[in-house]
Amino acid sequence: MELFALPLVFALIALVAPKSKVNYVGLIGAVVSMVVSFIHVALFSPDQYVSLFAPDFMLPLGLTFKMGYDGIGLFMVVLTNVITTLILLSNLNREIAHNRAFNALVLLMQFGLLGVFTAMDGIMFYIFWELTLVPIFLISYWFGAVDRKKPLMKFFIYTFVGSLAMLLSFMALGTYSSSFAYEDLLAAQLTAKTAFWVMGGFFLAFAIKIPLFPFHTWQPDTYTVSPMAGTMLLSALMLKMALYGMVRWMIPIAPEALDELSCLVITLGLIGVVYAAVIAIKQTDIKRLFAFASISHVGLIAAGIMLFNKDALSGAFIQIANHSLVALGLFLAADILERRMGTRNIYDLGGVAKLAPKFGFWFAAVAFASVSVPLTSGFIGEFLLLRGLYNYSWIVGLVAGTTLVLGAVYTLRAYQISMFGAPKMEHFADLTWNEMLTFFIIMLIILVLGIYPQAIIDFVGPSLDLTIETVKGTKVIVQ
Amino acid sequence: MFLAMTQKPLLVLATALVGLSVGIGLMVNQWYNPYLLFEYNGLAYGRAEVIYAVAAMSFALLIIAGGFSYFKREPEHTGEYISLILFSLTGALCMIGYTDLFMFFIGLEILSIPVYVLAGTKKKDLKSSEAAMKYFFTGAFATGILLFGTAWVYGATGTFDLRELSNVLAEGTANGPLLFVGILMMMASFLFKVGAAPFHFWGPDVYAGSPNIITGYMASVVKMAGLYAFMKLFTYVFAPVSDLWSGALFGMIILTMFVGNLSALRQTKFKRLLAYSSISNAGYALMATIIISDASLFNLWIYLLGYGFAVIALIVISLVVNDESDDIESYKGIGRKNPWIGVVLVLSVLSLAGVPPLAGFFGKYMVFASAFETYPILVILAVINSGIGVFYYLRFVMIALSSEDAEQAPILKPCVLQWSVLVICALGLLLSGYITL
Repeated sequence: MELFALPLVFALIALVAPKSKVNYVGLIGAVVSMVVSFIHVALFSPDQYVSLFAPDFMLPLGLTFKMGYDGIGLFMVVLTNVITTLILLSNLNREIAHNRAFNALVLLMQFGLLGVFTAMDGIMFYIFWELTLVPIFLISYWFGAVDRKKPLMKFFIYTFVGSLAMLLSFMALGTYSSSFAYEDLLAAQLTAKTAFWVMGGFFLAFAIKIPLFPFHTWQPDTYTVSPMAGTMLLSALMLKMALYGMVRWMIPIAPEALDELSCLVITLGLIGVVYAAVIAIKQTDIKRLFAFASISHVGLIAAGIMLFNKDALSGAFIQIANHSLVALGLFLAADILERRMGTRNIYDLGGVAKLAPKFGFWFAAVAFASVSVPLTSGFIGEFLLLRGLYNYSWIVGLVAGTTLVLGAVYTLRAYQISMFGAPKMEHFADLTWNEMLTFFIIMLIILVLGIYPQAIIDFVGPSLDLTIETVKGTKVIVQ
Repeated sequence: MFLAMTQKPLLVLATALVGLSVGIGLMVNQWYNPYLLFEYNGLAYGRAEVIYAVAAMSFALLIIAGGFSYFKREPEHTGEYISLILFSLTGALCMIGYTDLFMFFIGLEILSIPVYVLAGTKKKDLKSSEAAMKYFFTGAFATGILLFGTAWVYGATGTFDLRELSNVLAEGTANGPLLFVGILMMMASFLFKVGAAPFHFWGPDVYAGSPNIITGYMASVVKMAGLYAFMKLFTYVFAPVSDLWSGALFGMIILTMFVGNLSALRQTKFKRLLAYSSISNAGYALMATIIISDASLFNLWIYLLGYGFAVIALIVISLVVNDESDDIESYKGIGRKNPWIGVVLVLSVLSLAGVPPLAGFFGKYMVFASAFETYPILVILAVINSGIGVFYYLRFVMIALSSEDAEQAPILKPCVLQWSVLVICALGLLLSGYITL
């Protein structure tokens, strides 16, 4: 219970805390939740399921309020808590962090995310899923750029409509099962046609959130107008909800349609990989550039998940962690540039590395992690995903492999133009201690995972085995 | 109620509030002691009626408390306002508890006539008079059709009593065409009362012209009574002949949802927005009535409960904002001027939009989920409509939360009664979704 309720408590505290100290209140809240989740990890062995909340009553129509976690769920919980802490840490000495509403909203968002990752009831999942939309919308709306209204409206409506499709799927499932508890939904027997539509509903919701090509049009604008913390929350955590949703809900519940849809999703994912990377190469706005880079990376993860075998899924989870950390680092770097120079155009920047060597070093480190050089976690993750896709079909593997080349092009191009050359400014303040610490933690985790990825594979492995077994098992029954 | 005729506003208020509270208390008592449930000529209160009556009375209580500051501006008329609302509530209770078409008709009239008067109480305002006239004429016309339809149904079945009526219908000996025409006529006038398309044209004008608080009363109590009466008659009594009317209702639900939502998209006046939103909500609520099952009763109740709380909260906020021109723009920056009002406003609008975990979501979810098995197409269309609805609800939220300063408007200060109404509504929105009976 304390695992997902703590952020809510701290959010309420942050609402009444004195203004000068509220940034620390927020950070302490996130750190405490993080420590609590570490304790859960310490007490957890990967092959068990831990129930957090299982009341013995249910609402009419089968809402059971069940919550709990297995390896996958706990992995996402830890990721959420670490990332939230880093987000608050990196914002610590900015003006925005002294706003009560901001801290409360970030913690509320954390609460919603933890709920998503621990929900073991379809409707609970939906409720938390929607709950996360409100704080992120308000963060971007209150603290975002001047021209934020239109993109945010688009973002909200896009994702809300997608979620409604998911709700429809849940309702359809409800007619086949006695309650919305996860195991009841798994047990529901669907015909191939129903499964197709059910999975389609889920897919629409997730594809918009991830976002996959052609549902991505809300994403670059929204990332650009959101404040840094909002962009970080969106890219590092919110879209992970959708990837997690694919593994936990979409495929195990309607596995009958996996074969039919996997080809489509893999194709869309790969189009996104190439298309977004090519656009990213031509971008001059550094935040937009990273936004498109994000589309490119997650397209690969989504395609890998649809293969639904152990290697690809392990790769997907490593890449989920890696992408969260890298996105955090890149958007932090972009924001540092924007804040100190007042522009996001990379051609107006230049020579920063000479004036601010520490920033130059850490930005380079994150950029290399983004390009997945060996020893970083991205290398292992992409390697596993690409191998899986290559086994699926060599053409698919080949196309997906271009992500390595194109990724290097756009990332290093952005870095080179903005950081090297003759300095175009007289003064550039180097990193503050909290920014430095954020970069340090990000790189530390990336390197540790890059050297010892087995940690993640062992952690989520047993749950993945179980899920894959369910999926394969269901197929046999239907045929 | 007769105390209401004195000219001391506070005394009237106290009487009304105490009276209603006692009434609600008695109703709740009945719920827990079912042997008390009473029944006599044409009126019976079972468990279902009790929950609807409690909700209707609570809404009336909130309306009176929230609107008191408005009523008291004309001390000599305060008593009249409040007593008219109470008279009308009496009608609503008759409409909820009827077992006889005759009693239903009387209830409908007791409900409607005070509302016609109340709609025109802003005597110096042309719009208000127009609202009253329009509501009265169209309403009278609808009543005529209802009576006509009742006569046809009587002609086909030979009875007014609901129980006998359902027996006769179950035997299947009733005269087909006669019954068909009668049922359709009755349905038309019912749908008129709840403001469903294509009988919705009075809605926006009347909602916009009436004093705000009366708009709130129409949207919460009148709608609740009308929809429950409709459900009682159609979903339960006319169930054996559902093929005669469910097709027509099906089409009208779809029409209602689309008309309401699409027209709401471009509204710039707050009460017109509310009116169109109430039309679309009538569409969703009617989805509960088309599903013939015992659960529908509760689903509709939860739905209307969430809707009522949201509307009353918005109406009380509109009283506080107190803008004569009623522009949505005048809500700009309300979250900055008074954050707590902002919170309540956002809660109620998001609940109307169906964002979990608020009451509006549970209402929609229950209605939609129970309709899914029989009418999947209807649910899909309804979900699309919820998507359309998000657009205008969100626009409203964005205006209210805007951080840019609106023109120098005074800082808002609701009185104690209004605060308590807002708090109750907010709690209702947060918690009422979890009620199980």
